[in-house]
Amino acid sequence: MTRPARLAAQGLAVALVVGLLALLVWRVANDNSKGVAQALKDGEHPTAPEFHLPRLDGRGRIDLASLRGRKAIVLDFWASWCVPCIHESKRLEAARKEYGDRVAFIGVDTKDFSSDARQWQKKHGITYPSVHDGSGSVLTKWGGLPIPRIFFVARSGKVVGELIVEEDLPRYLRQIAAS
Amino acid sequence: MKRLFLFVLVALALVPAARASEQHPSLAELEGEVMCPVCETTLDQSSSPAAQQIKRVIANRIAAGDTKTEIKDRLVAEYGDAILAAPPREGFGLVAWWLPVVGILIAAVVVGIGARRWARAREPAPVGPPLDPALERRLDDELRRFEG
Repeated sequence: MTRPARLAAQGLAVALVVGLLALLVWRVANDNSKGVAQALKDGEHPTAPEFHLPRLDGRGRIDLASLRGRKAIVLDFWASWCVPCIHESKRLEAARKEYGDRVAFIGVDTKDFSSDARQWQKKHGITYPSVHDGSGSVLTKWGGLPIPRIFFVARSGKVVGELIVEEDLPRYLRQIAAS
Repeated sequence: MKRLFLFVLVALALVPAARASEQHPSLAELEGEVMCPVCETTLDQSSSPAAQQIKRVIANRIAAGDTKTEIKDRLVAEYGDAILAAPPREGFGLVAWWLPVVGILIAAVVVGIGARRWARAREPAPVGPPLDPALERRLDDELRRFEG
């Protein structure tokens, strides 16, 4: 190999390494993958990540951002294979009767078969609308598995909290209904 | 030539098996090609409720006469590409298929160049110009005398 060719090859290799390093630094600096659940644990109240997903009942799509400033939201991540989800979704269904006029209850059926999910809703009498997040990409932004995961979003679009213990449900519902 | 012929013969013999697998897939083979969406393993290594659900759906689709491609397409429509254990052989998924081949080729070239250089470096140093015949004869005589 001639000297100029060798120098060019070495320069290219160094440029490649520097480029990959810069990419890594940029990725780490711009890492937004913490998830809403972790942000809440850290004492933050992030803006609810947007989604635009198809409704399970086939009646169009739900755009979460379109509700910002209009209504508080309860977001319920569930799946038909998730046994504890039955109990939590039924509690939300009951709470909807009291808060439904001020709070939008939205289910996010995640990592699930949409046909099974529809049967599950029917079987357990869940009537609030749900969207289908088959790949789980929306769930990942909110904190990932395990489910059920239930979040409370104020009318402003800020996430107020996540349901951890049973008492959180009435507490957060009162808070976001008054927002 | 004989080897190439044998290779082609084996490849041709496998075609009907591949076609049968596509037309009439078994649950066992699909369980090894489909991921469990909640446990990051293939279905055959998982007994989680989510995996059981997908196994049941696959069994139903096999019973209904769906081909392997139809079943996989249905799963991808519900769960996205990540449900397949291997990336799709189209679009960006091709990168995953070809990158190892390109890597192996580049490595082979680098090793080849390195080996050639190494072999050259080990060649004996070139011998100098031949001795003058008269001088050589004199040297032989001297040596004979020295030994005698």
